[in-house]
Amino acid sequence: MGLQNAINGIPLEWYLIVAAALFSIGLYGVLARKNAVAMLMGVELMLNSVNLNLLAFWRYLAPESAAGLAFAAFVFVVAAAETAVGLALIIAVYRSLKSVDPETLTQLKL
Amino acid sequence: MTLQQVIFIILAIAVIGSALFVVTTSNLFRGALMLIVAFFGVAGFYVLLDNGLFAVAQVMIYIGAISILIIFSVMLTRGMQAMIPRNAQAGSVAIAAALLFLILLLAFGPFRLVVDLSGVPILSALFRTESARVLGGVPWQFANREVPETYIADFGRALVDLNQFLLPFLLVAFLVDAVLAGAIYIARQRKPAEVIAEREAIAKEEAEELAALQPQPNAPTLPQGAIASTADH
Amino acid sequence: MDAITNLLKIISDFVAELIRSVLGFSPLLAELVTMGIAAVVLITFAALSFMGLTYVERKVVARIQDRLGPNQAGPFGLLQPLADGIKMFTKEDTTPATADRWVYNAAPLVIAVFALATYAVIPFAPGVVGTNLNVGVFYVLAIGSGSIVAILMAGWGSNNKYALLGAFRTVAQLIGYEVPMLLNVLTVVLVTGSMSLIDIINHQTLADGNPGIPHILMLPLPALVFLISGIAETGRSPFDLLEAESEIVAGFHTEYSGMKFALFFLGEYVNALAVSFVFSTLFLGGYAGPILPPYVWILLKAALVFFVFMWLRGTLPRVRIDQMHALNWKFLVPMSTVNLVLVMLVLKLFPTSESAAQAFGGLLVTPWVQTIILAAVNLGVLFTALTLAARAARRFRQAEEEMIMRRRAANLAAAKA
Repeated sequence: MGLQNAINGIPLEWYLIVAAALFSIGLYGVLARKNAVAMLMGVELMLNSVNLNLLAFWRYLAPESAAGLAFAAFVFVVAAAETAVGLALIIAVYRSLKSVDPETLTQLKL
Repeated sequence: MTLQQVIFIILAIAVIGSALFVVTTSNLFRGALMLIVAFFGVAGFYVLLDNGLFAVAQVMIYIGAISILIIFSVMLTRGMQAMIPRNAQAGSVAIAAALLFLILLLAFGPFRLVVDLSGVPILSALFRTESARVLGGVPWQFANREVPETYIADFGRALVDLNQFLLPFLLVAFLVDAVLAGAIYIARQRKPAEVIAEREAIAKEEAEELAALQPQPNAPTLPQGAIASTADH
Repeated sequence: MDAITNLLKIISDFVAELIRSVLGFSPLLAELVTMGIAAVVLITFAALSFMGLTYVERKVVARIQDRLGPNQAGPFGLLQPLADGIKMFTKEDTTPATADRWVYNAAPLVIAVFALATYAVIPFAPGVVGTNLNVGVFYVLAIGSGSIVAILMAGWGSNNKYALLGAFRTVAQLIGYEVPMLLNVLTVVLVTGSMSLIDIINHQTLADGNPGIPHILMLPLPALVFLISGIAETGRSPFDLLEAESEIVAGFHTEYSGMKFALFFLGEYVNALAVSFVFSTLFLGGYAGPILPPYVWILLKAALVFFVFMWLRGTLPRVRIDQMHALNWKFLVPMSTVNLVLVMLVLKLFPTSESAAQAFGGLLVTPWVQTIILAAVNLGVLFTALTLAARAARRFRQAEEEMIMRRRAANLAAAKA
């Protein structure tokens, strides 16, 4: 189980497994839902799993470098910005089309 | 079983359980609350990773801001809570997600599958190196180091250092500026004349579309096929 | 003499020793039990002070308003909190029929939990602190922003349009006033160089070669803005349009009665007391002080700040919601941002340590001179902002009067014709 390289008894692989599970669940949430806000919730789960992965690698492989922290911080900021813009768009679309089902938004189709 | 292992298992169950609830529920408000539970769990993971700064940042950004945004939009788009939350491709997506999880588990998990390719004619010629015959289990180069005491100050200094992360920092700040400007523009206070003009423009557009669909009263009657084709647009 | 000063530390050491040796627990279990006892003590302290604070508040506000306050229940009305508690317990505990039961019942608990969680990082004496996080002040802000979710839960769970509207307005106010709070706490962290509350207190005492200047002398403007934001964050008067009787029924806690409403009430007072503690830690020097024991000092300072809260409540009228948002976004946030940049400049141009002077090439000054320069810069920013705001307000009022005059003239002309 790689326990010889565990910190506080937790090997790195445990964090990676949890992050992989979160990512798959978030992927299902994005692709299999009918409501745009629910899809965004799936995207948030995926971003969280990415951050968890980054910080686990930072802690176990290179704790004195700031690269892992900087990358994770940028993911935080970009996630917040993307959520704000995405939700503003969803609310604007809902106001004019009264629907948040992505399958009904076909105006740009030829 | 050390204390940290027990805490890890409890947090993992909480996070994965609430994530499953979020993606399968049709009650979006409860889904948003369970998303908050998942965020708290991930913050707990960050504490286990000796990173108090990011744990607190996670609570402040995700729970204090993003979750509130999500709850607001759930409340403002209320009419569309479908009975069945899944769409047509949910089955295949579930299989794909499970497959992805299994591949990641195999690739980065604690298992190692040693496959002897020496006998197979073509593959043994393609994969010559030792590691290619082992599926899964990356040999990480572990650090076994402690997190330095001044990791917050070092991180801060790295963000403004010309040789390190100043450029991405400025780019991200630029992105946040753009989002802020967009939000202010969308939420700007419109004068009453502007609001009336907007509404009139929308009404005129709708009336035009409606008129385009109606057959003209003094136009010659078209055959059935032609009317059906205009209605398809 | 030394025993009285270190009383809290002696008691906590004694209890820890008791658990470890007499009861024979393993070190892990002993630590867990000690932390549990500390948590229970903190929660009890917060709850008891809540009871005392409701009484003190009613008395003080009553005296400001030229009346007596509660004096019927017990001598000088001292048993009034007890009477209030009995009333809360015996009130009927209703639940709206179509409300979302889990969400509705969980909201007061979540608010109470978040309000009490702030006390975990406040240092009551040297070495007597729940936990010495190296991101202590950031933790306090994050907990404050986390409690906003509970208000949305309360508004939604009541299944009541007015409660929902009240919750929206409350959340808008709370999110808005987080920004100046954050900016001003950032200014204090900039001056101190650390986010840990114990380091901030040490920077204001004579420990470790620090000059021993309370931050309120160095940074009067952040102190003022933090005070205003703190009042707005806890929903007290003059920012209490969210729960006032003349507003949307009672805001987000319309549908709550009995014990659940008591928990909301507790959350508000405990939050206000926590803000007082944090203010005294950040700006007044926490538990530092000459003669009295440290835990007495911090209680005195927090009581002083809470008295200022009560004073403002009894004196100022309520602000309208658009006035409140205008005050925040058009006045406090630009002022705090400009102040932060100027404080940064002053710290670089007039450093107090040799290494900083060599690194950037500023003018080396003593700590008191730097304090005076910082205070002057802060007050300059404050007066500039106030002048600009006054001018803008005068222009706005003149424009309004002009419009009224024009409309009156038009009406007269129309009436004559």
